[in-house]
This record gives sequence, C-alpha cells and structure tokens, in this order.
Amino acid sequence: MTFLLECKKAKRIGFYPALIGSSILAAAIPILNIIIRGEIDVTASKSPLQGLLGANWQLMTMLNILFIAASASLLYHTEYADNAMQKLYTLPIHEGSVFYGKTLFISVMSLLTLTVEFSALAFCSYYWYTPENSFILELCQNFGYSLLLLLPCVVLALLISEFCQSMWMSLGICVVCVFIATMLPTDQFLLSLFPFALPFQMLDTAQTVPYLCAACTELLILIVTEKIAVKIRRSIS
Amino acid sequence: MNIIETQNLSKSYAEFHAVSGISLHIPKGSVYGFLGPNGAGKSTTMKLFLGLTQPTGGTFTVDGMQYPENRIPILKQIGSFIESPAFYGNLSGEENLDIIRKLLGLPKSAAAEALELVGLTSVRKRLAKKYSLGMKQRLGLAEALIGKPPILILDEPTNGLDPVGIHEIRELIRSLPQKWGCTVFVSSHLLTEIERMADIVGILNHGHLLFEGTLEQLKSTAIKKGYPTDNLEDTFLALVDADNRQSERGCMQ
Repeated sequence: MTFLLECKKAKRIGFYPALIGSSILAAAIPILNIIIRGEIDVTASKSPLQGLLGANWQLMTMLNILFIAASASLLYHTEYADNAMQKLYTLPIHEGSVFYGKTLFISVMSLLTLTVEFSALAFCSYYWYTPENSFILELCQNFGYSLLLLLPCVVLALLISEFCQSMWMSLGICVVCVFIATMLPTDQFLLSLFPFALPFQMLDTAQTVPYLCAACTELLILIVTEKIAVKIRRSIS
Repeated sequence: MNIIETQNLSKSYAEFHAVSGISLHIPKGSVYGFLGPNGAGKSTTMKLFLGLTQPTGGTFTVDGMQYPENRIPILKQIGSFIESPAFYGNLSGEENLDIIRKLLGLPKSAAAEALELVGLTSVRKRLAKKYSLGMKQRLGLAEALIGKPPILILDEPTNGLDPVGIHEIRELIRSLPQKWGCTVFVSSHLLTEIERMADIVGILNHGHLLFEGTLEQLKSTAIKKGYPTDNLEDTFLALVDADNRQSERGCMQ
C-alpha cells in the first residue's frame, strides 16, 4: 500500500514525465550511437551486448543516476513544501515507513527505466548483429546486475533528500556526488564502491561477486544509517 | 476521568524553558481550552502529546497509556491540527484525505464525511495549493477529524477563517463531545473563542501553568486575587501581567 500511496503523491510534480523522458533518452543512446557512428565494432568483445554496453553504458548510467537524484529530491520536496511530513509524523505509522516507501517506489521506477534501456540494447543486438542463443540469459544477467548496483545509489540519494528540507540543497549535493562518481577511475576497486559510482560497473565475471557483495553491504549500511537517523531525529526534536 | 494527564511535563531548549513542569488534567468528553500569549508554550505542549518533540522532563499519559512506550497506540487515538495546515499541494483536497484515510485504514466513506463536516465537498477536486487560506485551514481540520478520533488536538483552528467560518468551526468543535463523545484540546489566542467553546481552560505563560479549571472557577480565583472579572480578556491579562511581574522580580533578585 505504501508503494501505491507514493505513486499517488508523485502525481503532478513532473516525476512521471521525467521518468518517461529519461528512459527514452537513455534508451535512444545506443540506437543513435549506431546510427550516427555506423555499426559499433563488437569483434573485440565477447558478445554484441558487451560491445554495446562498453560503448554506451557510461552515458546511460549517468542519465539513470541523475534521474534518481532528481526524483529523490522532488519526492521529499513534496513532503516538506506544505508541511505534509509533520502530519505524517502525527499518524500512527512507523517513522521510517515514508523512507522505505520511497525507496521501493524509486527502485521500481528504476527497474522500469532499465527495462526500457535493456529493450533498446536487445533491439540493437538483434537488428544490427547476430546474437548467440545465450543472448537472453546474458541480457537478464546484466539487467539484474545493473539493477542491484543501482540500489545503493537510490538509498543514498533518498537519505540525502530526507536530511535536507530544501530541494535545492539535496539536489545540489546529489549532483556533486554524480560528478564525483564520473571522475573516479572505474578500475580502482575501492574508489568505485562509492554508491553513485557503483552503477557505472558492467557485468564482468572477474569482479562480479565482489561488486555484488559490496552493493549488498552498502545497502545494509545505508538502511542501518536510516534507522539511526530516525532515532537521532526523535531524540533531538 | 481524565483522558490526558501530564505530570511535571517539561521541554527545554538549552537555556530556554518552553514548558516548565506543567500538570494538566483533561477530562474525557470535554472541550479543554488552552490559552496563552504567543510563545507561552501551547504549541510545544501539543507537539509533546503527538511525539513531534520529546519531553526533557516529566511524563504524560493518554487514555491511560504512557508515552513513549505506547507512541503508536496513543497516536491511533488522536486527530490533530498543529500550527498550520499540512497537505500535498500537488493533490486535490479529496486526494489528500484519501492518503490519510489509507494510512489509518479507514473505510472509503471516511474522507467524504470529513470533507462534508468542514464544508469542502464542493471544492474537493480542486488542488490544495489553489485553496484559499480558509479552505486550507478547513482541509487541515478535515485531516484531524477523519475517522472520528476519540481525542482531537487543535492548535489555533480558526486562524485565517472569516467570521462565518469561525462561527461554523466553533459550533462544530462545541458539538463534537456530544456527537462522537470525543475530547477536544484546543488552543487559541482568541479569548472570546475559548470562552464560547471550552468547558475547562488552562492558562499558560512562559511555560508555566497559571490556572486550570472551569470558567466559573477562574472567575472566583480572579475575585480572590483582586483581578478584574468583567470578561475573560481582562482576567487573562491580569493573570499574565502578574506572572510577568513576578518573573521579572525573580530575575532581578
């Protein structure tokens, strides 16, 4: 039910047009890239999908995390703008439920975005290349991996937005985080664990397990941070 | 029987004492008027009951339940309106109430009933951000009234309403104990409003409870102390003035 309430709250704030716009834009990147540059050379890659991801994933991820940052700021802005958050705190609900509801909501929306993007990648693979029989499995594995690596970024963006009552402050901090993430070298394991840098990683058999473990650990740490933040906020209010 | 009781309830911010050891007794089924000048601690006291701010001393019980152990069961008993109306500006009045209705697990009809009570049915589809100040105030009241809670905590509920609106809301508040058997804890700086609404009054100044009792008891206390009793305003001003002078003397000593 919390998820449905979040869907309702996101009406008329520009969230849904932003979702559709960013999904279409990100999905258009591999298609436009091939049309403009001619066919991408995938002979060096293991598969057409890996070649396409290598050529486009950085830009697509950049759009994804910018969408997450803007969404998190916008969703909390609607809570703070007309004092709705205070009303929620006077209702018999768990104080963290607003946060978890929003986490679920943005995660599901990110899943939709990734679905559109991976559909575009599948289209490019079938239209311009000849994928192997295991293509669908490979596509699903990459999809799941990308989604999981996106989740710590979702939770951190929401934590930042929850702490900042001004939308401009949370959006500013998130955008700075996005730019820091783009400047970090992706081949440095420790640096690439920054939650906003993690989604830039692509499925790579050598590093898959460490990155999956890192994403799960980050999720756990961020959720515990939220629990502590609720207690601190209550005690200092 | 008292539905809300406080024992030496206090709230301090560093050196500032917003509420200083007050002991309130709010009888079940009454309209309790909470009076005090700006900054007396009325809103802080109400926020303490709702868990929006934490007490630095003392305790309170709501319907026999101790805070903070029973925060959720206590909040289930209370409908509230604190300081200013709270809403989602991007949603209509009806959608705003629907969100609260769903969170409280109430039937669909509850939102329509609350809108009807505050006279917003005709504008229920309009976006809340496009409401006038009075309509926003009514929406805030509807959010407090939804589900007919046994306790209502209303902080300055008639702010921003025109005289007709003030009269309507006053009559509504006055009628609630008989209609639903609910208890209303209402604050206002409009003394005439409280005089017309409340069965019992509590007067707060600088966080101290100066008086608690019926209006008749207030009158007899004022006569004993030599304060004017022509109307509530004169009595209130005399009480507050005496307390202010006493505080100043205390500070000088």
